[in-house]
Amino acid sequence: MKRIRFDLSLLFVFGFCMSFSTVCSDLVISKLDRRIDLTSQLVRTTVSLKVENNGVDSVSEILLPFPEHQARNLAFLSAMISEGKDKTKSSSGSLPIEATNPKGKPPSLTWYSVSLPKELSKGGSLTLEVKAVFTHVLRPFPEKISQADVQLVAFQDSAHYLSPYTVKVQSLTIKLPEPRVESYTKLENTKFSGTEIKYGPYENLPPFSYTPIVVHYVGNKPFAVAQELVREIEISHWGNVQITENYNLVHAGAEITGEFSRLDYQARPHVRGASAFRNLVAKLPPRAHSIYYRDEIGNISTSNVWSDSAKTLLEIEPRYPMFGGWRTSFTIGYGLPLKDFVFQSEGKRFLNISFGCPMSDVVIENLIVKIVLPEGSKEISVSVPFPVKQSQETKFSHLDMVGRPVIVLEKKNVVPEHNQYIQVYYRFCNLSLLWEPLMLIFGFFLFFVACIVYMHADFTISKSSPSYVAKLQWDEVQTAIQQFQNIMNRCLVVHDKLEASLRELSRNGNVQACKAARKAADSLLKELSKELKPILSFLQSSPQAVQIMPKVEELVSKERELQEKLMLKHSTVVDSYEKKSGGRDIENRVAAVQQKITLLRQEVDEILEVIDEI
Amino acid sequence: MAQSVKPISSPVPDSWYPTLAVFMLAIGLIVTASFFIYEATSSRKNRSLAKELTTGAVASVFLGFGSLFLLLSSGVYV
Repeated sequence: MKRIRFDLSLLFVFGFCMSFSTVCSDLVISKLDRRIDLTSQLVRTTVSLKVENNGVDSVSEILLPFPEHQARNLAFLSAMISEGKDKTKSSSGSLPIEATNPKGKPPSLTWYSVSLPKELSKGGSLTLEVKAVFTHVLRPFPEKISQADVQLVAFQDSAHYLSPYTVKVQSLTIKLPEPRVESYTKLENTKFSGTEIKYGPYENLPPFSYTPIVVHYVGNKPFAVAQELVREIEISHWGNVQITENYNLVHAGAEITGEFSRLDYQARPHVRGASAFRNLVAKLPPRAHSIYYRDEIGNISTSNVWSDSAKTLLEIEPRYPMFGGWRTSFTIGYGLPLKDFVFQSEGKRFLNISFGCPMSDVVIENLIVKIVLPEGSKEISVSVPFPVKQSQETKFSHLDMVGRPVIVLEKKNVVPEHNQYIQVYYRFCNLSLLWEPLMLIFGFFLFFVACIVYMHADFTISKSSPSYVAKLQWDEVQTAIQQFQNIMNRCLVVHDKLEASLRELSRNGNVQACKAARKAADSLLKELSKELKPILSFLQSSPQAVQIMPKVEELVSKERELQEKLMLKHSTVVDSYEKKSGGRDIENRVAAVQQKITLLRQEVDEILEVIDEI
Repeated sequence: MAQSVKPISSPVPDSWYPTLAVFMLAIGLIVTASFFIYEATSSRKNRSLAKELTTGAVASVFLGFGSLFLLLSSGVYV
């Protein structure tokens, strides 16, 4: 079997470091416990250091060195002071960490310094807990496997903690995903039990001790790496936060060689395709709605959603099982209620949303988060708990005039530990919400105006053609008839008013009011007949109104008759009231007239309808 | 965070969008219909521009808000 080559450069670093061991400060690590978790494609190391100050001066920072190959792949680093014993951790938030380049230290290492909240005075001690996550440190070995093979992974590190300080007692525990190991470096005090390999305890090691170890083990966990993930978060103040995520996914484990048999895979997926992954689970916020999962071709139907009050789980299955080296790209999108993520504080609004990808076992090589704020947002500021590249652009979306401001955050090597909340602060006036409906309204109004213009404009080319002239004349006739109808209708309204005044009279016997109504009606009718005259004469003179003229004239005469009868009835009734005749007496006197009126009214209405239809 | 932080919600509850869309579009279309009936039936001289414009304005207000709520209720959050 092939041997795994040690990284020669590591040995060089080790030797190089030894020569610098004298420059270290008076800090001593009295107890160090290191745990490396290899159960996923990430390497998660947790180091708890008990630091003592044996020197004279107070110390305010602790140095953490990383060898070059690790520093390159360091995705996440945090340090906190843990107080209390063992499991009862009462951590006080993570401490500020910054990259430094201390003088007199080997430059082949990458240095980070942890600033302590208060200086460590002489003789004092504290327990520091350092968490680091590395991506792409695990190397599949062999690099190509067939469908039936298990995936073997090699991991290199040092059995001794690389530190500029003397370490009194230290131990290392490596946790594996399965209790199957191909080989591992055996040093003194090495123990392998279950899924754990233990190195140590080692005592009184000088600074920069470095003893390379290699663990070659079975790691069938999916190596799902998103080479690029673009998350677009679009805020709409009409009640929605829309999230769209574009994944460009690859299985970064051992590449598959030879042929792929779907039949074998279906029959025994755990043996014939142990390193492949079939599905991914995204943990979305609660009350996510309108969830979709698609790619360039269209909808991908193999997905499932479960939701409860705390979360929404979305299980997506790519179109094919993902074997080593295979790629896929897809898009998921969902809407979230606005009130869960956007808040108002001191006149400013802010979006509070998690930064990373909702899938817990995906590593993202290049994450781009675009936050699309509503049009008209001002004074935008972003607060992110870790360094990111930030830029701003404009996006045009539905019903936009000047475009929406977009905050673009870019970060490389994103791991689930980066799923922390970020805040985007901005100012937005609620009245700006009305821009969109106003634009729609304006659009519709323009349409109506266009219709009006079209109806008013005259597009005839030849203004002297006989058909055009005829049309003009017909238009005039139509206008006259409409005016005529209008006057007739007004006459009828006056008639109705007179009738109403009579009814009023029979109720309260107020003769004066009735007379006044009569007077008003008289003058109105007179005016109307005056208005009618020119229209009638025009209609008589117009040749195109010949057909309709008889009806018009009939209507005029009927109306006049109706008017006379009505006046007669009115004066009779009023007279009778003045003479204080009995109710029955009046009715008898008017009966004949009334009959006539009803008849005439019916006829008038009929003729009006006939004219209306022409 | 301070106590002054309060969540922001939409000016109109989300669940009203479909109803609002239906009613406002219905009213808008009725007014539009009356606009076109008026345009088609009244002769050129008798038409009053003010009446046409007001009918058009009322119709476009209802159609504008109606189509906005239609967009919102169908998931296009503008």
